Amino acid sequence: MKELFPKQHVMGFGFSLLLTIVALAVVKFDMSLNMAFGILLVTALAQATVQLVLFMHIGESEDKKTLYTTILYSVFVGVVTIIGTLFAMIWGYH
Amino acid sequence: MSMEELFHPMQEPMILAAAISIVVGAMVIVAGLTYFKKWGYFYKNWLSTVDHKKIGIMYIAVALLMLFRGGIDALLMRAQTAVPDNGLLDAQHYNEIFTTHGLLMILFMAMPFVIGLMNIVIPLQIGARDVAFPRLNAVSFWLFAAGAGLLNLSFIIGGSPDAGWTAYFPLASTDFSPTVGNNYYSLALQLSGIGTLMTGVNFITTIIKMRAPGMTLMKMPMFSWSILITNIIIVFAFPVLTVALALMMFDRQFGTKFFAMQDGGMDMLWANLFWVWGHPEVYIVILPAFGIFSEIIATFARKNLYGYKSMVMSMVVISLLSFVVWAHHFYTMGHGVMVNSVFSITTMAIAVPTGVKIFNWLLTMRHGKIQFTTPMLYALGFIPIFTIGGVTGVMLAMASADYQYHNTMFLVAHFHYVLIPGTVFGVLAGYHYWWPKMFGFRLNEKLGKAGFWFIAISFNVTFFPLFILGLDGYARRMYTYSESTGYGPLNMLSFVGALGLAVGFALIVYNIYYSWKHMPRNEKADVWDGRTLEWATHSPVPEYNFAVVPTVTRLDEFWFAKKEGRDITAGPIEKIHMPNNTGTPFWMSGFFFLAAFFAVFNLWIPAIISMLGVFGFMIHRSFEKDHGRYISVEEVMATEKSLRGDK
Amino acid sequence: MKIDSSLPLEYSTEENRLKIFGFWIFLGAEIVLFATLFTVYFTLHTRTGSGPNGAEIFELTPVLWETFLLLTSSFTIGLGVHAMRIGRKKAMMTFFIITLLLGLGFLAIEIDEFVTYVHEGATIQTSAFLSSLMTLLGTHGAHVTFGFFWGVAILIQVAKRGLNPQTANKAFIFSLYWHFLDVVWIFIFSFVYLKGLIS
Repeated sequence: MKELFPKQHVMGFGFSLLLTIVALAVVKFDMSLNMAFGILLVTALAQATVQLVLFMHIGESEDKKTLYTTILYSVFVGVVTIIGTLFAMIWGYH
Repeated sequence: MSMEELFHPMQEPMILAAAISIVVGAMVIVAGLTYFKKWGYFYKNWLSTVDHKKIGIMYIAVALLMLFRGGIDALLMRAQTAVPDNGLLDAQHYNEIFTTHGLLMILFMAMPFVIGLMNIVIPLQIGARDVAFPRLNAVSFWLFAAGAGLLNLSFIIGGSPDAGWTAYFPLASTDFSPTVGNNYYSLALQLSGIGTLMTGVNFITTIIKMRAPGMTLMKMPMFSWSILITNIIIVFAFPVLTVALALMMFDRQFGTKFFAMQDGGMDMLWANLFWVWGHPEVYIVILPAFGIFSEIIATFARKNLYGYKSMVMSMVVISLLSFVVWAHHFYTMGHGVMVNSVFSITTMAIAVPTGVKIFNWLLTMRHGKIQFTTPMLYALGFIPIFTIGGVTGVMLAMASADYQYHNTMFLVAHFHYVLIPGTVFGVLAGYHYWWPKMFGFRLNEKLGKAGFWFIAISFNVTFFPLFILGLDGYARRMYTYSESTGYGPLNMLSFVGALGLAVGFALIVYNIYYSWKHMPRNEKADVWDGRTLEWATHSPVPEYNFAVVPTVTRLDEFWFAKKEGRDITAGPIEKIHMPNNTGTPFWMSGFFFLAAFFAVFNLWIPAIISMLGVFGFMIHRSFEKDHGRYISVEEVMATEKSLRGDK
Repeated sequence: MKIDSSLPLEYSTEENRLKIFGFWIFLGAEIVLFATLFTVYFTLHTRTGSGPNGAEIFELTPVLWETFLLLTSSFTIGLGVHAMRIGRKKAMMTFFIITLLLGLGFLAIEIDEFVTYVHEGATIQTSAFLSSLMTLLGTHGAHVTFGFFWGVAILIQVAKRGLNPQTANKAFIFSLYWHFLDVVWIFIFSFVYLKGLIS
């Protein structure tokens, strides 16, 4: 049985549950919006990293550099789209 | 919807004539295939092919057809505005025509032409036997074809989209565009867009993973580099269009409130999303042309490309910058000074890497022995004309000045000065350059050059007057104007230019017929004394591309090997693994087409049934056992012998 | 077909390696697709018109269950791929079945959530906020649904044909897809639900 539950995966699962609980703090405790947003950003990014590295094994193949570049590029485009749109349509709009 | 409403476009005599010609044309093709008993051949060799070269040829064939469809739209527009108060077209018809002109030319002419050329050339240029996913490639093509068919069908059944190719809300909402025209828009673009996204995945994988042994990224020909960058932009830009089109469909057909005027909707969010995709799209159609020009200029200046690394770097920078400039398409929308300043600066920054490329091409030609072939003429014509487009682009990039130029003919002249020398000259240059590779004979040079001169001169006659008209305040998309405005004479000049362009494009097509009849067939494989691997194999190219995959040690290996008298394709022949042909992509896209067609008219039950057909094909594909087939050594040797014997 | 036995089955042929690589590229496109849906949501989430806002309709308990089910399913499919790599077909299938069942549980809660919203008069047509919310959730849910049927098809093939380079490759690619949906959910959980509940 034991060989079916590798340490890496069990740890990853533990991490993701833990991060979920930490994220829950933002609704359970009174805090500033910026603080809450910061916590959510950190926990969500950590969760994504756990999945990518521990579960999806992004670093295991010969193409890992290209794969990391792909993910970073898509995150770049995604973030630019989100921030740029909010900038153009809400923050910088009058 | 009543039958009368459904076919209301036919009441227009011009549309009726066009519809009749489409039907008659289709009937002639069907009758011809039946009479000559070519259905089997047609299905086996074309409809069910997974060969990248044939798929590429089909892309280019559709692109040429759409070039003429979009070209007729353009001629009609110029004819309508040639004289003041003209009654050739009414406002509605004019709206439909400028909308379909833009859509067809960008998405169903420029895109497939570029994708067609990359299909034909890329595997050959990197020394591969096919693309990474040959079947997916066929799916891409047939989805694109389904989208193109659907958009053209709108012309006959139900009415064309009429809110501009940008389809801004609220104009494109059901309140202001009540016909099904914009339903066609969202669904036709969705189909072909998904196809394009798959192409992007396919070609990135092909270029990254399937290069010939020894060809590191920095030893890769410049056209392959440009296509790699283009496909990276496709993969990361097209999902935005997918979402935007879905939201448009939901708003128009399911009553959601994304772009609505009430309940919290934000109409300009559409414009924002459209251009988040739309600006990278400009680079998707222009970077391949940059790659084509790089190949052609190096070949016909008989020198290696100047500044290889800076060429690569500038494309990488352009790809990143292309994602951060979109708001310059709507400076006048009402956002603040800060927003306009930021997007002004990023936009002007793009001129830097583009300028680097222009100087690299000029320096490549310096001290070169230039051969003035047809492809080279297009490359030479491109540089000065495109520079005018680029410079006026920088003018438009300045937000405060843009308040003067916005939505005038100045803008229209600018983007035609970018897209025609950039994309159209680029793909035409590539088409003349690689034609012998596709079919084994050349296009006639005299006719080719005549076509170039007609196009280059008429282009300037057509579009330069529009700069002046724009500065005089002539707004775009007006179906007519009064005589007192004084816009008449320059518009007439522009119409004359448009007629000249029509002659130029007609010459290009006539050249196919002429060359097919008269040009010699026993051309050598390396007709232009080329530098890259596609010239190392036979013309036309055998199914497996290379009997022996060449090994590469440097950039332009083929060129240097030629000088040293070495044959880089020599070596022991082994059996070759190839994918099987399959009709699945064709039929699956057929069901996609049906689903989208029914969805246009809100006929949800038949649409769902058609989608079940699509899923059926997916399940079939998942369970299918198809490991491809092998071409035996004897067969390869026999093919090689017969191809060599021709020469 | 050349089989490289030094690599796990799913990587063992050239075709398999191409497919895994291509799927990662496709996931890059999926990231942008969901980022665009988030863009629309963030732009419109305060624009509630005459309808309710997030804090009024979101309920923490079912969302926590959804999160727990999806996180666990991501864990079990990871175990499934591990079992596959050590050649334990039965264990692999068991983990995949658990994964799909957890996915079904997730969908059941999500459907119940949508039904509740509609009963409360919060439909996709009510306001721009609800249009964007339901499109974002619906796209994720549609991915999970598609994934369920995809997973079933792969399980049938593994059961009938055993573990070979083809089936292993499909199962591995499916696992990438499933993990990815979990990542998307984490962002929905954090920036739609939790953030909606505090503001």
